Amino acid sequence: MRKSTKRIIKTIVFEILLITSSLLMFAPILLAIIMSIQPPEFVFSYPPRFLPRGLFLQNYLEAFKIVPFARMIFNSALISIFITLGKLVTGSLSGYAYANFVFRGSKISFYVLFATLFIPAEIVLIVPLFRIVSRFGWTNTYWAMTVPFLASATNTFLMQQHFKTIPKDFEDAAKIDGATPMQYFTKILLPLSRPIIAGAAIINFTYAWNMYLWPMIVAMEDRMKTVQVAINMIMNAESSNNWGIIMAATVVALLPTLILFFALQDLFVKSLVGSGVKG
Amino acid sequence: MRRFWLIVLVVLTVVSFAKVKIQFWHAMGGWRIEVIQNMVNDFMKLNPDIEVEVQYVGSYEEILAKLIAAVQAGTPPHVVQLNEISTQKMIDSGVIVPVQDLIDKDPTFDVGLFLPQVLNYYRVGGKLYSMPWNTSTPLLYYNKTMFKEVGLDPNNPPTTFSELIEACRKLVKKDEKGNIVRTGITWPLYAWFFEQYMALQNQPLVDNNNGRTAKATKVVFNNQAALNFLNLWNTLTKEGLMINTRRADWTAARQLFISQTVGMLISSTSDVALLMNESKKQGFELGTAFLPLPDCTQRGGVVVGGGSLWILKQKNQAEVDAAWKLVKYLAEPGPQIVWHQATGYYPIRIDAIQKLLVQGYYQENPHHLTAILQLLTSVQNYNTQGAIIGAFPEVRNAIETAVEKMLTGALTPKQALDEAERNANKAIKEYF
Amino acid sequence: MRRKIFPYLLLIPTYLVIVFFIYAPAFDALYNSFFRVSVFGRRKIFVGFQNYLSLFTDKDYLYAVNFTLVYTGVTVVVSIFLSFFLALLLDQKVPGSRIYRTLIFAPYAVSHAVAGALWGFLLNPVVGHVNYLMRIFFGIQTHWLTTTPYAAYSLIFASVWKTLPFNIIFYLAALQSIPTEVLEASIIDGASSWKRVWKIIFPLVSPITFYLVIMSIISATFQSFAIIDVMTKGGPGIYTTNLVYKLFLDGFRFQKIGLASAQNVILFIVMMVITIIYFSYGQRRVHYQ
Repeated sequence: MRKSTKRIIKTIVFEILLITSSLLMFAPILLAIIMSIQPPEFVFSYPPRFLPRGLFLQNYLEAFKIVPFARMIFNSALISIFITLGKLVTGSLSGYAYANFVFRGSKISFYVLFATLFIPAEIVLIVPLFRIVSRFGWTNTYWAMTVPFLASATNTFLMQQHFKTIPKDFEDAAKIDGATPMQYFTKILLPLSRPIIAGAAIINFTYAWNMYLWPMIVAMEDRMKTVQVAINMIMNAESSNNWGIIMAATVVALLPTLILFFALQDLFVKSLVGSGVKG
Repeated sequence: MRRFWLIVLVVLTVVSFAKVKIQFWHAMGGWRIEVIQNMVNDFMKLNPDIEVEVQYVGSYEEILAKLIAAVQAGTPPHVVQLNEISTQKMIDSGVIVPVQDLIDKDPTFDVGLFLPQVLNYYRVGGKLYSMPWNTSTPLLYYNKTMFKEVGLDPNNPPTTFSELIEACRKLVKKDEKGNIVRTGITWPLYAWFFEQYMALQNQPLVDNNNGRTAKATKVVFNNQAALNFLNLWNTLTKEGLMINTRRADWTAARQLFISQTVGMLISSTSDVALLMNESKKQGFELGTAFLPLPDCTQRGGVVVGGGSLWILKQKNQAEVDAAWKLVKYLAEPGPQIVWHQATGYYPIRIDAIQKLLVQGYYQENPHHLTAILQLLTSVQNYNTQGAIIGAFPEVRNAIETAVEKMLTGALTPKQALDEAERNANKAIKEYF
Repeated sequence: MRRKIFPYLLLIPTYLVIVFFIYAPAFDALYNSFFRVSVFGRRKIFVGFQNYLSLFTDKDYLYAVNFTLVYTGVTVVVSIFLSFFLALLLDQKVPGSRIYRTLIFAPYAVSHAVAGALWGFLLNPVVGHVNYLMRIFFGIQTHWLTTTPYAAYSLIFASVWKTLPFNIIFYLAALQSIPTEVLEASIIDGASSWKRVWKIIFPLVSPITFYLVIMSIISATFQSFAIIDVMTKGGPGIYTTNLVYKLFLDGFRFQKIGLASAQNVILFIVMMVITIIYFSYGQRRVHYQ
């Protein structure tokens, strides 16, 4: 009897703690969504209101007026998709090389690659990277925003780890059937790796969609900028003095990855943990 | 053979009808993007052989950084709007065509019709390097409705620092718990205002006559004039009479004024049109006035700020000529009046102002008039001509950093001046 | 023969990217860090180690080093402990835990820039909700983003909020992989639950903690640029200017390519050191799952 009361109390305490913390964590996003659909009088009311009143979509239209937002959404999507595909291709190719082949220089090249594992070049090396991209004449182009990110040690590592778990028997069988290494790769290895590829895809997409400093620097014109950069532009826009509009832009910037996350949460979590470097 | 000549003829015709394509980069965001696009469209109608691609590139800082990248990539834009403090840097750059060279070759262009106050800023060593364009000075905006409410005379805005402090104190409103819910004044945290207050007290910012007679070697602002202004800033902040923004956050300052959280705002004259609209929407009456001065000082003048249009060197001379045509057009009375009315930036020409006076425009728009009068009544000398410094962005940064340290209580006004002087001098020495 | 060159062909795309966009920039930075370069890059003089010397005698740079350490340190410690605690909570099988998990994980999907915008809004002095609640509950009336020390607190709020979910996700996975026998054994031994958490569970997940500390350091040091840029722009004064923000100012605002290159070299070395620590220390210790 006493034990079960104790358990009930414990559950209630946990419930309260969990409800509070999930509300606290989610509140900023929720408030942004609420503010983005409220008229200025509501946004500027003091004390601030927490609950929405009606639907007011003017803010979104305004945000689209201040900057070429539709184009920026397109840019973000294009860049993210391109980077995601590129990383998957390069990552699985090089992962395949390291997982399934013994070749001269594999060890040393592995170190050369993995030395860069944690380096976000677009930040740590921003000045020289910008110089190189300028010299290619790539500033203000999609090239600048995608090509430097078409491969990463993380993706190679992830794919290599995964390919290693696939039994050698498959490869031997394929060889006996007369399949070339490339055929084995495309016909057997990749189909077997679908979940990990999907997981890597959403992680890469999120990373690319959320890039900030680099697109801000290489995009010279509004029509080449991305959604993340647009937020700050709208915040600093001469004509905007309304948080409703800023929050509308913010919601547009966070919605795609948030929806992706809500829809594929389990996959997200599984692959994220899988991508964590294991010794 | 005949065929060959036919082809040559066709090619020549095509080439001669081919449009010259030029790029125009500017830093005027928001509703002004459309204003500029319309002005350029008009230009293209008049010059069907020129196609202008207009780009809003971002802030002045961004536009400079991106210009440098474009020049290094070998694809410079043709016309670029840069802020006033980039002047020396651009002169040193070796990548521009001085506007003076084009003026000298163009008999149709009369520079004598321009406001000398504006030309003086952009002329260095007697030579005009860029075409002045969007020109503004700071202005005091105040909420007449709020003035009435607290018993201040809405037609007598403060003219001295002590009157200003007094007015701010009256504007403060607290809730029942003693929290301040409304206060006196704000202005963006921007070194431009510091420079203005030096000129208003008829003081130079740097040596060699503000860098006008020889290259500036050090700043000379560590004196009583600067202290007057920093003391005011410090006092207003410490007493809670002023709200400070983040660096160069014009939007936040305007928002505080529009939302009636503060009763006064010092901002650029380029906000006149915007604030007139917004005050109407919010239901209060807007007032404008000259900047208040320290007690018992003679008024010097304001320095023009804003930006000018630079023409970049190109491989193809036809493109430079087209760029010059565009620049010339944008400085004509017609576009200048459109620009002035839409924003509040000055018309930079005497004939444009005369035209507006004749039309009675200023009777209906007294705020635009205050702005112009403040400039026209300014004393004209090296001090109000504005400083020319290669490392101007760094100097501004030094001033802003020191001011922010003062506002957070880490430095006294005097210490802040010392630090600003030290860092600014270092930057000037390191300029390369 | 074909078989022999095949693996090299597979590596080409990856290495093209790595060489051109990581190693080449690193060498470019190293080279230029020995020069003073004019704004448009037309004049260039060799200055030896002058750029490095002036960085390490520059009070502002040293301040940025200091601020980076403090900001990163506080963010990482707070984030690690909070996330461990939240992961323990989420690990409890209580009704609705899936919904809670979804809501708590959500900030993972948003960017640093968005995090900055959201917290900039919540803390803004005119209409901010958190600003209002802080005033009501704690009597703090201040301008969060423009005064010391609140500007730093604001940044830390935003970056902890942003990095928490990532850490929770990993801790939760680690907790779920602890064999129940271990825990049951400790229950039989009579360890109180609090003691059990710190004496048994926390040490068991220490490899994950190590990984998360590294990742959080990288995130708080480098990715937080967006948060700083959106929220405080490094101010007031240089109060919230960290190394990356300082680099951004020197490199892109003031166009000091030589000086900025030297800063890039320093950051690159810092990253290399972190990587080496990770591989030499982590290699031995990280064995979870």
